Amino acid sequence: NPIVLDLAYNCIDFPSLENRM
Amino acid sequence: PIEDLFTNLNRHIERSEFEQAVKVADQVLSVAPNDEDAIRCKVVALIKCDSIDKALSTIHSAQRQNLPFDFSYFKAYCLYRQNKLDEALESLKGLERTSETMLLESQILFRLGKMDACVDVYQKLQKSKIDTLEINLVAGLILAGKSSQ
Ligand SMILES: [K+]
Repeated sequence: NPIVLDLAYNCIDFPSLENRM
Repeated sequence: PIEDLFTNLNRHIERSEFEQAVKVADQVLSVAPNDEDAIRCKVVALIKCDSIDKALSTIHSAQRQNLPFDFSYFKAYCLYRQNKLDEALESLKGLERTSETMLLESQILFRLGKMDACVDVYQKLQKSKIDTLEINLVAGLILAGKSSQ
């Protein structure tokens, strides 16, 4: 069976905290 | 002060210390329960530690509080990971069709065995610049019986 990589995982990103520190 | 907590949180994120990041996000939330950045960091960190159940329950409790943040993409992703594929598609429905929502949609359609629809989304995605997309596209084409194309 072909394997489907979980590319959507790479789209799960942390928000920028630059203005919060 | 909350700035120190965020500095600490950011350091854990940069070091990929995701369990620690969850703890610090919780510290922020104990003083600022509705802080969107803290909730987002907590959800993403939980996903990165493979705690999909906890990520979903964090999203659900934010939704119960009627917070005005949109967690639909994270929710759809968590439901996909739990193989709740129809619910995952449902969570994507209200979102704008961007390359990330289409990518997740195509993975869900693939798992549902809806190969024609899956290939259709991939072909739209090919205009975007996702490097390894071809791997998934080939898989979809093979299962769709379109390997000659
Ligand atoms: K997959």
